[in-house]
Amino acid sequence: MIKENNIKFIFLSLSLSLIILIFFFPFFWIITSSFKSPEEIIATSTTIIPRSFTLEHYNKILFNSDFFIYLKNSLIVSFSSMIISIILSVSAAYGLHKLKFYGNKFVEYSLLVTYAFPGVILLVPIYLLFAKVNLLNSYFALIIVNVLFATPFAVWMLKAFFKLIPNEIEEAAYIDGASRYIVISRIIIPLAAPGIASVSIFCFIISWTEYLFASILISGDNLKTLPVGLAGIVGQYQIDWGFLLSGAVLASLPVILLFVFIGKYFVSGLTEGAVK
Amino acid sequence: MNKLKSFQHPYTRGAVNSVKKNNIEGWLFVSPLVIWICLIILVPIYIAFELSLFNVKIIGTSGKFVGIDNYIKLLGKSKFLNASLNSLYWIIGNAICQTFFAFTIALTINYKFPGKKIMANWIILSFIIPTVVVVVIWKLMLSSSSGVINSVLIDIGLLDEATGFFSSPNKAFISLVIINSWRWSPFLALIILSGLNSINREMYDASKVDGANFIQQFFFITFPNLKSVLFVLGLVGTLLSFNIFDIIWLITKGGPSSATTTLPLLIYETAFTKFRISQAATLSIITSFLLLLFSIIFIKSMAPKEDD
Repeated sequence: MIKENNIKFIFLSLSLSLIILIFFFPFFWIITSSFKSPEEIIATSTTIIPRSFTLEHYNKILFNSDFFIYLKNSLIVSFSSMIISIILSVSAAYGLHKLKFYGNKFVEYSLLVTYAFPGVILLVPIYLLFAKVNLLNSYFALIIVNVLFATPFAVWMLKAFFKLIPNEIEEAAYIDGASRYIVISRIIIPLAAPGIASVSIFCFIISWTEYLFASILISGDNLKTLPVGLAGIVGQYQIDWGFLLSGAVLASLPVILLFVFIGKYFVSGLTEGAVK
Repeated sequence: MNKLKSFQHPYTRGAVNSVKKNNIEGWLFVSPLVIWICLIILVPIYIAFELSLFNVKIIGTSGKFVGIDNYIKLLGKSKFLNASLNSLYWIIGNAICQTFFAFTIALTINYKFPGKKIMANWIILSFIIPTVVVVVIWKLMLSSSSGVINSVLIDIGLLDEATGFFSSPNKAFISLVIINSWRWSPFLALIILSGLNSINREMYDASKVDGANFIQQFFFITFPNLKSVLFVLGLVGTLLSFNIFDIIWLITKGGPSSATTTLPLLIYETAFTKFRISQAATLSIITSFLLLLFSIIFIKSMAPKEDD
């Protein structure tokens, strides 16, 4: 017994340090680096504990760049995509998992495959299609695509939450004469609220991080999203690292803040049986 | 058992029926999403198919009809073969790397230790930040002139002098696989964790009484019980890995010497840097056909038996 516990302890501490080193240290690194002086960032002898402290990079990105325009665009696109995705996927998940119908399983698996549907295959034809119907350079172009990428997995995540709601509650409501609408708005949605919260955050993240379509469908500077704006700096020949790092930290901040408040629903939503 | 079922209260029997089989209403609830997805996937695929039969070079012009000429030309091209092989290596490399990371994370978080909650919540950080930020992080960390990884490796004595992680074909490919796995593994780990949570604890206790150690427990209880989770991960994970574009494009642009040009990058390059629209469309059609084939075979052969 003691021996097995020892092995467990060694395994645990080894894997814990590996995880912290690989998955958490990089964040420490870019956050601290974003406050370093330009010379220290590009110095050949790297310093784990920063020697200099400066706010010049943040100053530059906040007051001397298009950051706020990109931020506004990203927020508009991500929030709209999120709301549309939630409405569509809650409705679909209810139909799939509460009302069994003919073709149920086929729709479920097709959705799963669509989740992973390679966007790049659609890139050329969607570009041409949107050009034809005058959707290029509009928020709606990005929203249409983001909803497509977010909803399939959202439906899959909601499945677990809907299955947790006992059918008896619904049945009792129907016996009392409640309509479908009442049952959904008063029973299903409140009971699945943590699930809906976690799905919302997932949809938001998908839209917030989307780069490929945003870089092709939008060409006007005033409509670009944050990832595209940042990528513009990455592509430059002489990278201004301080500028880029502070931009990277600021671009991650909104999702991280969102995560602080409803992140635990997201994680428990994933871990408490998304695939049961 | 069946007899018992028919002894339901007359009131609830009707109610049960209204919750179960409900073809029209069921489709009604599903249809908005299904229509949205079909429109945005099927219409473009039709357009791509049409384009692939023509010889369109510049966006907006209509080329002449060439039939399956594009397909024949493309299948014989070494670029296509190279990108397909790269995609295959990419999927395999990511599968190995992500399985290792994801299982390490999931099994670790499954233990009790101080700070477990915080770690479980924040391990997903690499998944929620924009891909471009992932690129920024690793470009800086792996930089040959001022990267922290180079300087640490030199300090430990593993390297004599700074190396360019993206300068040679093999190094670039492996670095990209690791970076992509870094982004995706925590997310996959949480899904594996959901599978672990659904395993009945009593099975572990019972096996302990029978004298099983934790390695035996992993192979005889944990692994078999993760089947449905691993099915989803195998299917979705493969397709998602295939799909990766931005990490590769923003770091290596497919280089050096096309070593990291996977099919998605080839499609992008053909369409938006070489402006060969019909060729890109043909590539898209071939690619979707291959992936569809993979998905059907995978679902048919691996789908877990339904228990509900």
